[in-house]
Amino acid sequence: MKTASASDVKRINNLVPKIGVVKEILDETPDVKTFRISTPEGERPFTPMPGQLGMYSLPAVGEAMFSVTNYGDDYIDMSIKKYNDGVLTSVLHAMEEGQEVGIRGPYGNGFPIDQFKGKDIVFVAGGIGLAPVRSLILYCMRNREDFGKLTIIYGGRSKDDLCFKEDLFENWPKVPNTEVHVTIDRPQEGWDGHVGFVPDFVKEIAPNAQIAAVCGPPILIKLTLPILSQMGLPDEDIITTLELRMKCGIGKCGRCNIGSCYVCLDGPVFSQAQLNNMPKEY
Amino acid sequence: MKTIEKAKLDSLFAQLAQNYSLLVPVDYNGLTQFAPYSQVQEGVSQLYLDGNVTVSPKTAYLPQSEAMYKFRAQGKKLAIEEMAGLDKQQVLFGVRHCDTKAIQCLDKVFLDEKFEDPQYKNKREQNIVFSLACNNPKATCFCESMGLDRAHAEASVADVQVYDFGDSFGFEAISDKGKACLDKLTGLGETASKLPDQKPQTLKFDVAGLPEKLKDMFEDPIWDEYSFKCLNCGTCSYICPTCHCFDINNKIRGEVGVKLRTWDSCMFNEYTLMAGGHQPRAGKKERVRNRFLHKLQYFNEKHDMSLCVGCGRCVAKCPVNVDITKFIRQVIG
Amino acid sequence: MSDIQSEMRATAKQLLESGEATVVIGWEKGTMPYNSTPVMIRSAADVDKLIWDEYCQQNLSTYLIDFIYTEDKVAIFAKGCDTRAYNRLIQDKRISADKCIVIGVPCSGMKSAKAAAKLPEGAEVPMSKACKECRYPNPVVFDRKIGQDVTPWCTEKDFSDVEAIEAMDQDAKAAFWKEQYTKCIRCYACRNICPACNCTNCIFDQSASGWQSKDINASENQFYGVTRAFHVAGRCIECGQCEMVCPSDVPIMLMNKKFIKDIDTLFGAYEAGLETEGPVPLSHYEVSDPEEFM
Repeated sequence: MKTASASDVKRINNLVPKIGVVKEILDETPDVKTFRISTPEGERPFTPMPGQLGMYSLPAVGEAMFSVTNYGDDYIDMSIKKYNDGVLTSVLHAMEEGQEVGIRGPYGNGFPIDQFKGKDIVFVAGGIGLAPVRSLILYCMRNREDFGKLTIIYGGRSKDDLCFKEDLFENWPKVPNTEVHVTIDRPQEGWDGHVGFVPDFVKEIAPNAQIAAVCGPPILIKLTLPILSQMGLPDEDIITTLELRMKCGIGKCGRCNIGSCYVCLDGPVFSQAQLNNMPKEY
Repeated sequence: MKTIEKAKLDSLFAQLAQNYSLLVPVDYNGLTQFAPYSQVQEGVSQLYLDGNVTVSPKTAYLPQSEAMYKFRAQGKKLAIEEMAGLDKQQVLFGVRHCDTKAIQCLDKVFLDEKFEDPQYKNKREQNIVFSLACNNPKATCFCESMGLDRAHAEASVADVQVYDFGDSFGFEAISDKGKACLDKLTGLGETASKLPDQKPQTLKFDVAGLPEKLKDMFEDPIWDEYSFKCLNCGTCSYICPTCHCFDINNKIRGEVGVKLRTWDSCMFNEYTLMAGGHQPRAGKKERVRNRFLHKLQYFNEKHDMSLCVGCGRCVAKCPVNVDITKFIRQVIG
Repeated sequence: MSDIQSEMRATAKQLLESGEATVVIGWEKGTMPYNSTPVMIRSAADVDKLIWDEYCQQNLSTYLIDFIYTEDKVAIFAKGCDTRAYNRLIQDKRISADKCIVIGVPCSGMKSAKAAAKLPEGAEVPMSKACKECRYPNPVVFDRKIGQDVTPWCTEKDFSDVEAIEAMDQDAKAAFWKEQYTKCIRCYACRNICPACNCTNCIFDQSASGWQSKDINASENQFYGVTRAFHVAGRCIECGQCEMVCPSDVPIMLMNKKFIKDIDTLFGAYEAGLETEGPVPLSHYEVSDPEEFM
């Protein structure tokens, strides 16, 4: 492989995607699929840190930013929820394995890993919000000795809407010093786990957590953050992710700003302490 | 200082056009903008040097619509081809000081260390800017209040400084690129005359402490007052020399397509509307506030300079006279 | 100070103090002598901002749409064109009359702010083109009225500019409009100020739908211009705001007037916005309508 000179590197147009190939499509829920993407040469398209983002596109349809939920030696995984009014996500969901797509990244800051080290962590997620948190959970599990107790609290509307079931019910509970709690919004036949909304369980399940990573629909974030504060977590250790409309992913096109921060560049991961100093415009 | 009589301007342009692509300010059917000199030669447009142009020369750096790459999507196959940049140097004649300052603002965004924009950089390298000092500011000009130097263009952007001596223009090289360009020109005179007199600007005010003051004004009722009459059209953003927000979209014919980047405006609903319907800036108030704060506070916080250069275009052209200078004066008090 | 201006202020004061209105929309003085610009007054203490001069051209009725979901009772000052716009908005069911108080103000025609901006200070400023051709300077609907009705200076529709274009051959017409729409920067100011362009979700704000590319060129721009002209056909009240706000000086009214002329020819003389009841040429159906095209 040719080694790029300094001037070559400078000339890389970050707005032009590389080609990726969809190697595998996994059905997570009726409206969430995970797409496993490699380069045509069978390599990993890029190496993301937990919480970082990738721009995923079908150039003839559109391009959108998604979190990278996992990666392996030769792939990255992106889990995508289909929105009825989302033109791109509808087409992505109709796609078959072997499809070539545009891919660029990694973008954004990712989770502040060092800050999580040595602490008992509570991960709080709802719906597709588990996708970014999962990248952090998997990182912690791969480097298990660097982190304290892992408590995962995850909720979905129904048992059919739960993503990453194999991780939730098979893989993660086997990891040492790890607890997984799953809840659904309403009682359902064939479900004997928790029933109720995620924020209600946090204090009860993880009263001694030292740091929290929260991601989910806006209402889950809104209700969970104050509970974590009540539990005595400092604002710096209450960590969440934000999502806004993005186009460029590299802090130039303008639209994802909250005050002087760009979510694509300075986020998507923010602490409660940072949010306290930002306009409430998200 | 080198000079040329205005009567011989055509010969200067002809020489420049021989060696470079040449863009000059023109009046095209009532719209003033930068356009190829050939338009003037063909009589399609008239050279316009009476004041600054409505559509700023940012078009020569960030065109209103620009192809980023071509693609072919054939079944499961996808091919992508990047676009070539400008291969010829391009002279922009008569860029005003405010607009050179504006390019410096764009540099902060498009030439940042982490994600440099090669399409922008290519134009930045290929453009040679002849910047003309304004002797007669318009009633809507306020560059002095925004800290600009009316005698000297922004040196990191302008390559040649131009002065208007009434019946002649004077030229002084600023950059090596500018010097090389001037050295190629023949038939220029030489003068040691002092700089032309500049009429004072009438729209003057103090901006000291503005970003700090605005920091505490996010919830101020002033936003209702200023946003009420806003139409949420894109006039201010599109004619502003520093507004640089863009959209990325397609033009497709069958299997082949072009990915475009086109100007966008924070005044438009689609700008921040998310799939699923969430709209963080739903109305006029949120949008006007974001635009003003981006100009006067957010950009300062990130880059330690204002994103308003005082060109006065929005003051002159806003259909409903939403006046950023009135706003600044009211905030400063 | 003109009598009308003092009466405007007194009326606004009375309406706000009595609580009959919570908001009064009028004009205030802007940056330049030729800028008279919309203002929203909520407090009787602020009524002295209101002005009435020869530059109060902007049609205020479109602002009524901003108040449909608020608790406000809104009073607006309205010239002839503003009242025709008001009627149009009522007819399009975008506003409701019981939330509004229309204070009619007869108008003698407004000067062109665009012309003023180009002229030296003190020069005689011509009347704006739309005002020159205005046939309804007096309010056609009002709850109150300030000032005396004026005698209209124009009684017939003036289509001479449209006829000049019609007389061109096809190539010349195409070249003319291409040249004009090359200038368009698609800022959508014409759409946003237009009282007939009042859709809640315009097709030009749905780029993903694929109706219109965001590419800027004469063809895409003309598609925008023509589509908009078709959409306001039969509803344009000739206030000329579209042309007034266009930063690129595209002669937008020329196309609107062509539609008005054709409607007059095909359906009989029609004046949009004079009434809120009765058939509207392009959105009214009768069984006896000819259907040659079916």
